[in-house]
Amino acid sequence: MSFFDRAHTVAPPGYNRFLVPPAALAVHLSIGQAYAFSTFNLPLTRMIGITKSAPGDWDLTQVVLTFSLGIVFLGLSAALFGRWVERVGPRLAMFTAALLFSGGFMISAVALAFHWLWLLYLGYGVIGGCGLGIGYISPVSTLIKWFPDRPGMATGMAIMGFGGGAFIAAPLSTSLMSHFASATSTGVLPTFVVMGAIYFCFMMIGALVVKVPAQGWRPEGWVPAAESRKLVTTANVHVDVAWKTPQFILLWVVLCMNVTAGIAVLGQASPMIQEMFGVSPIAAGGFVGLLSLFNMLGRFFWASLSDYIGRRNTYMVFFVLGILLYAYIPSAGHAGSAATFVLACGIILSMYGGGFSTIPAYLRDVFGTMHVGAIHGRLLTAWSAAGILGPILITLIRDDQIKAGVAKADAYSLTLYIMCGLLAVGLISNLLMRPVSTDRHHQGDVDVASAH
Amino acid sequence: MVARLIILWAIVGIPLLWGMEKTLESALKLFS
Repeated sequence: MSFFDRAHTVAPPGYNRFLVPPAALAVHLSIGQAYAFSTFNLPLTRMIGITKSAPGDWDLTQVVLTFSLGIVFLGLSAALFGRWVERVGPRLAMFTAALLFSGGFMISAVALAFHWLWLLYLGYGVIGGCGLGIGYISPVSTLIKWFPDRPGMATGMAIMGFGGGAFIAAPLSTSLMSHFASATSTGVLPTFVVMGAIYFCFMMIGALVVKVPAQGWRPEGWVPAAESRKLVTTANVHVDVAWKTPQFILLWVVLCMNVTAGIAVLGQASPMIQEMFGVSPIAAGGFVGLLSLFNMLGRFFWASLSDYIGRRNTYMVFFVLGILLYAYIPSAGHAGSAATFVLACGIILSMYGGGFSTIPAYLRDVFGTMHVGAIHGRLLTAWSAAGILGPILITLIRDDQIKAGVAKADAYSLTLYIMCGLLAVGLISNLLMRPVSTDRHHQGDVDVASAH
Repeated sequence: MVARLIILWAIVGIPLLWGMEKTLESALKLFS
């Protein structure tokens, strides 16, 4: 096991730091599969009937809960295991994530063999979800330490992988299912086994390659700015102190509002474009794919930009531009302008992704590098909260509007205006951000391993 | 080190580009 120890992952002199982002990407591209879980939804409702649902088959609501559980456990495990990940280092954390995530697939395959729904929840939802959470945070603090000059770009690159994972998983799972499908099988069971094996190998590449910089290492020729920006600290805040500060709560609100608003568009994208502009379901599917592309590229673009304009300014752009675009979408619908509608939704989704990828660097600026991974893990509970709050809010408002006699195409307007309100809450929270008071700074050794 | 760097980026880049190409293919249906 010593191979997995933090001490054995310290990079030798001359190690190229650009080897670390692809290692992180190998993990994030794998766990990003979660975004494509919906490709299994319909086949999972036909495990007995094969061609159509038969008595005893699971219904769609039961199946969809698997994904929701996965996202809830992503947030919970990131919050609970953040300190452990910081202590043991990225290699053991990535290995554990690989075991849990691929193990989740294997257990789910057993669940399908016996048609046990509870085991599917336990396998993909709980165990796989813990793999998602640990995998998500495992490379973050390592990347920030390797790229003190460009922390936004570095974490943006990795978190871009989480958005991009669905691009690989969706066609891969569809191809595997059609390959294994027969008159007596939907092909999901062997697909789970194969995907579990592929993702284990892919994530292990990341675990084997990743290295942490030696204590005191700095990029060649880089000197920290003599005068730091107002919100960028050179001190460190312990995770147990950090999460009780007003800054943590404000950033939690910032992330939660940004994600909730993004989910509102992402979750309704397909019916929205069909009902507003009368496009076909196939074309609407293409639109959703296009939005995912904006989501992925936004993760890299906005996080990289934040290295130049600052984290707070980046979020100011998200909220101000977001409010304008959300308010504009209903007008685009009335004007019948599909192209500007697509563009507005694309920019919104790029900022949704950008919110995820810029937050680790924002946390680094505010709380220092010492426990940034663990603090990030706890902040991800905002994602879990938004994952529950967003869809419920949207469905309730929409159903209420339709019951009140509002036309389907217009029923989105109120939802979008409410999202403007949520973004305004995020904007105020971001404006209230101040540096952490010096009495909360960590005194003493900054070595993460000794801080426990 | 450079060879290792190229191989590693290819390992993660090729599947990602493949997935992006598939997504763009389906997105084009929106405009056809």
